[in-house]
Amino acid sequence: MLKLIHVEDDADIREIAKMSLDLAGDFDVIQCECGEDALARVQDYTPDVILLDMMMPGMTGRQTLEEMRKLPHLANVPAIFMTARAQHAEIEELRNVGAADVISKPFDPMSLADQIKSAIRK
Amino acid sequence: MRSSETKLNTFNSLSLGGAAALGWYLASSAVLSGSAADVVPVLGTVAIAALLPAYLGVRRARFVTDKQSLALGQRIDVLNEHAIVNVVDRSTNLIEVNDRFLEATGYSKEELIGTSMHKLYCDENQKLAPTIHLLLSTGKSWSGETPIRRKDGSVFFTHTTVRPIYDLKGNWIGSISARTDVTQTHELLAARDIAQVTDEMKEDIWIVDCEMMAATYMNKVALGRLGLRRAAEQLIPLSQLKGVDGVGSIVATCREMRSTGADNAQFETEYCGKPFHIGITRLKVGTLKGRFMVVMADMSKRVSEEQRKSDFISTVSHELRSPLTSIKGAMGLLLSRAAGELPDKAVSMLEIAHRNADRLVLIINDILDLEKIAAGRMEFDRRDVNLTDLVTETKNANVTMQKRFAVKVESNSDDSPIWINTDPNRIIQVLNNFLSNACKFSKSGSAVRIVIEDQGDSVRVAVKDQGTGIPIKDQHKVFERFADMENSNRSAKGGTGLGLSICKAIVEGLGGNIGFETTEGIGTTFYFVLPKTEANMESTPADNVVKMRSAS
Repeated sequence: MLKLIHVEDDADIREIAKMSLDLAGDFDVIQCECGEDALARVQDYTPDVILLDMMMPGMTGRQTLEEMRKLPHLANVPAIFMTARAQHAEIEELRNVGAADVISKPFDPMSLADQIKSAIRK
Repeated sequence: MRSSETKLNTFNSLSLGGAAALGWYLASSAVLSGSAADVVPVLGTVAIAALLPAYLGVRRARFVTDKQSLALGQRIDVLNEHAIVNVVDRSTNLIEVNDRFLEATGYSKEELIGTSMHKLYCDENQKLAPTIHLLLSTGKSWSGETPIRRKDGSVFFTHTTVRPIYDLKGNWIGSISARTDVTQTHELLAARDIAQVTDEMKEDIWIVDCEMMAATYMNKVALGRLGLRRAAEQLIPLSQLKGVDGVGSIVATCREMRSTGADNAQFETEYCGKPFHIGITRLKVGTLKGRFMVVMADMSKRVSEEQRKSDFISTVSHELRSPLTSIKGAMGLLLSRAAGELPDKAVSMLEIAHRNADRLVLIINDILDLEKIAAGRMEFDRRDVNLTDLVTETKNANVTMQKRFAVKVESNSDDSPIWINTDPNRIIQVLNNFLSNACKFSKSGSAVRIVIEDQGDSVRVAVKDQGTGIPIKDQHKVFERFADMENSNRSAKGGTGLGLSICKAIVEGLGGNIGFETTEGIGTTFYFVLPKTEANMESTPADNVVKMRSAS
């Protein structure tokens, strides 16, 4: 089982993602509704992959990742962003700051698990 | 313009008018007979004396005996030097011209004498000629402004007085014209008028003289922006503005235009800390000839408005995508039976809802693309790519569409690679659009054919369907946004009405062209042609993966 932390402010999207990943059966999912909560949660938790929404009130996904990277045990954990602003320039920028992949919203719930596994393999 | 009665005075004193008439008389071969004393009583008063050098030489030798005559000669010399004078016969053929006339027109005396004055006329003079002729024939003179065409074709403006001249018997035999070159006055007045207009304009305007490396004029707003005051001479050395951002590129462009002979240049630059559009025009006429007019338009308001609009569209799109993620996600999970089995009718309804949610996503994507096109911000990520692979990828990605509309997609490709330098994702977007349109509008069970044609310097990709074709009356609207066309049945087919206008912008943005051929009842072919710009055209073995290489 892959340990995944999902940070997403939209409760409905959290539920869809949780259901999609549970359906795949390969993930142990922890969900947080903001970057601040996620940072508190990862102090004593090392996920195998980080799934971050980009636009969130308070800390953005990018700021959350930057803070997580400061923690030695999270320095090399693959991070995947989910964004509704999937513009070419933004995707490139997120890749440049260390994103293993960028998943555009709306995502396909039936292929979300495969996309994540594929990004980890890269 | 004015006219006045010409009086036939008795020449009883050495008046200027009398001397002028006398001068003309002696210079004119038509009436050159007898001595000055013989013609004096019958000559009328002619205003300007200018044709007298020959006469004066003789006259001084023979008649100048007193102070009055000497003073007259000097006055004639001055007038001859000042005025541009010509004498014509009644048919307006030139009989005599002075040196100033030759200097001003660029002709030699031999080229002018005996020829018609009309060859120096502009349209304006031609229109005036009948009026002046009529006045002269009735003994009246005429004064006004007339343009004169030089030998090199250029025009100068003169203030002219024309008076009739007579022979010994008092018959009207022609006219004498004395002119003053007022071109510079015209230009100064015009420049003053222009300055009054440009001073009220909201753009910054400079007139730049590259030889002097100075701005010879700046309008009010330009001076104000630089914190300068209008000086009497108003010559602002460009070196004085060296520290102002943007001035360097303006000066460099003016210099380049001077060396290349270019007439216009336009660019955008930061000037005084703001985004400006700069237009530079070479001035070609009058005293400003050879200088450059620089018109600078502050774009900061437009840029911020565009940014606000762009942000708004981007935000709205984002806000729409978030709920769509939940809607599509929930429906997708239900359709995958994640929540258990569903009745067939419920599945059917869910499929409709899911398909329309997909359509909404496409519309949002298209709106974002259109916004980019409108703002001129559509960016292309060019790489060397194998077009054959792009076609194969698109074909494979549209399997669901083929099944849904019961259409078979074929390709003429034998997998030979065709390398072009382009944006692969945008080309796939265009191919997807062509292919999905072809599937939607094909007859069930028919074939859609993709034809790749290597044309040497370019490559043509066509997607042919065997559909209903596009009615003639709708053909001109094909690339319009939301074109309302017969047979399109957009809602049922799942189109956004934006796709082809975006395809056109993409293909043209990539340096190619787009088009279609259609016959009602037979089918339609949409195609694009792209240049093989800078791509490595060596054949490379193809595989099933899209190959991309970083552009060098």
